[in-house]
Amino acid sequence: MNGAQHILDAFHRHHISTVFGYPGGCIMPLYDALVDDVGVEHVLCRHEQACALAADGFARASGKLGVCIATSGPGATNLITGVANAHRDSIPMLVITGQVPSGLIGTDAFQETDVLGMTLGIVKHSYLIDDADSLPAIMEEAMALAQGGRPGPVWIDIPKDVLLTEVAAAPFAATEQPPSACPDLTDAIHMLRAARKPLLYSGGGISLAHAEDSFRAFAEASALPAVVTLKGIGNPGKHNPYNLGMLGMHGSRAANKAVDECDLLLVIGARLDDRATGNLAGFAPNAKMIHIDADAAEINKLRTADMAIRGELNSILERLTDALESKPLTIADWQKHCRTWHTTGGFSAADNEEPLAPITGPAFIRQLSRIAPDDTIVACDVGQHQMWVAQHYEFDHPRHHLTSGGLGTMGFGLPAAIGAQFADHSSTVINVTGDGSFMMNAQELATIRRYNLPVKLIVMDNQCLGMVRQQQELFYGNRESQINLDDNPDFVAMARAFDIPALHIERTDQIRRGIETILAYDGPMLLHVAISREDNVWPIVKPGASNREMIDETRRTSTANKEHVA
Amino acid sequence: MTPQTDASIPSYTLNCRMSQETAALERLCQVVRIRGFRIARMAVESAGDHLDIALTLEGSRPIAMLQSQLEKLHTVVDVALGQGAVVRSRSA
Repeated sequence: MNGAQHILDAFHRHHISTVFGYPGGCIMPLYDALVDDVGVEHVLCRHEQACALAADGFARASGKLGVCIATSGPGATNLITGVANAHRDSIPMLVITGQVPSGLIGTDAFQETDVLGMTLGIVKHSYLIDDADSLPAIMEEAMALAQGGRPGPVWIDIPKDVLLTEVAAAPFAATEQPPSACPDLTDAIHMLRAARKPLLYSGGGISLAHAEDSFRAFAEASALPAVVTLKGIGNPGKHNPYNLGMLGMHGSRAANKAVDECDLLLVIGARLDDRATGNLAGFAPNAKMIHIDADAAEINKLRTADMAIRGELNSILERLTDALESKPLTIADWQKHCRTWHTTGGFSAADNEEPLAPITGPAFIRQLSRIAPDDTIVACDVGQHQMWVAQHYEFDHPRHHLTSGGLGTMGFGLPAAIGAQFADHSSTVINVTGDGSFMMNAQELATIRRYNLPVKLIVMDNQCLGMVRQQQELFYGNRESQINLDDNPDFVAMARAFDIPALHIERTDQIRRGIETILAYDGPMLLHVAISREDNVWPIVKPGASNREMIDETRRTSTANKEHVA
Repeated sequence: MTPQTDASIPSYTLNCRMSQETAALERLCQVVRIRGFRIARMAVESAGDHLDIALTLEGSRPIAMLQSQLEKLHTVVDVALGQGAVVRSRSA
């Protein structure tokens, strides 16, 4: 076998049956090997960035390794945003790029870039292969690294001659790592029992650790009031009576109030991101903190934990569940307070009773949440629509909500939806996007058409970059700058040009029919939803401010002075 | 990150052992920089399959944070912190 065939052999042995890629000069030996391969489906996207983002969406929806492939030079540089996106959200990904032949590296050869050097900060690890015989072992190590511990992207850059060289080394057999012992939780359980107002704070680490079920069992056994980060949405389940929803910059007043009032914060699989905590000096000021995470580097990074527990989340959660099931917490007063706050300060958006009224983002998303099947996967883009989904769509599982949390990548949603549909052919997959984000990877409509993926596309079109406009309104004295998109193309005609049927709605009485039509259609379909340019996401915490200083529609303020927005 | 301009910045010595691999030093230096430290001195010695790197670093963030980030690097074998921080005057 040559190097290229060894790569495919590794895919087969690891049951990797779907990869996303785009061919080119230096990766051609791998594409040549694909011609004779059976068992690996190669999905040809129309831009390398979309290959990486589709692999990301595949991994998020399935919990498996996402794989993307590109050639050297521009192929590799086009992957970078997608790989950075996976890195920031700890998504398991294997990236394979061709490189110019070994002898030409460093000569400024055609389509040569120092991809290893330029990607050091966005990978969990990376390799430039200089010896073909090392390829089998590196493939094995890379796949284990990408998925082990705190997951992340691992990049293998392979010179063209290595792909063509006969590899003497045999396929590498990995050894199973023994499970790590569960840390001692005695003190943590004592702290939980001593607390009068304990609060459960969970993030994306739950699904990254495949600990969704054990977390759900713990949340139910403990009956702890719970808040979630953007990536933790769905962790407690939509029927959990103590789920207060998302905290932070666009979190609910109830969630931020509970954080402010609690006396113990039990943080599990979350990294205290600034968009969640606001100004750290004012975050959970009355609380001790137990921080449980798989990554030691996240513990004490931004706030010193009173108790730090590093370990495998499933075993920890199971032990905690056992302890609390045998002797439940007595926090009835605190639970009652939190439920009251949830009633009065949770996310709410009244359905507009006026049939001819313009559509508002929150009302549309609430209807979508009610109508879409329970196993629907929603892949968002970035902006106001992303926050309306986070606030108003009721997710019952974290893998149903695909969102670019750390990097905030406009253009994520459409390729992520493609990846998710390949991961799960039977579920409904919806890309909820904005007019700005949609245009960043709109070429992937061709991929949807090529593979006849039944992805539903919902473009919430306010003819501007709404989130930027909102912050300019609130924090920059309403001085609008470069946010106008009122010369958008006709999105309905655009979809039809890709042979994808499309529908336009603009009034409240058209919402239900529009949603039902695209969901019922047997194939891809686009719903163009015209919404007001002036709609804002409420509440909002000014970047850098404390979560106590939430601004909602009734306390809407505009500052005349230009202030820095992080 | 903007270079430190404070007159008194803590200085640390840190000894790191990592595997010999392509871009090993670049990987180490990238983490040091992005986590807010400046390399004041660096000595590298090749020891078989490993590199032994002695660093003198300056930075106002907690050195433990950098240590834990370096320990995450796949090819880093060991990171040892020298005794205590020394506050050095940049103008001295």
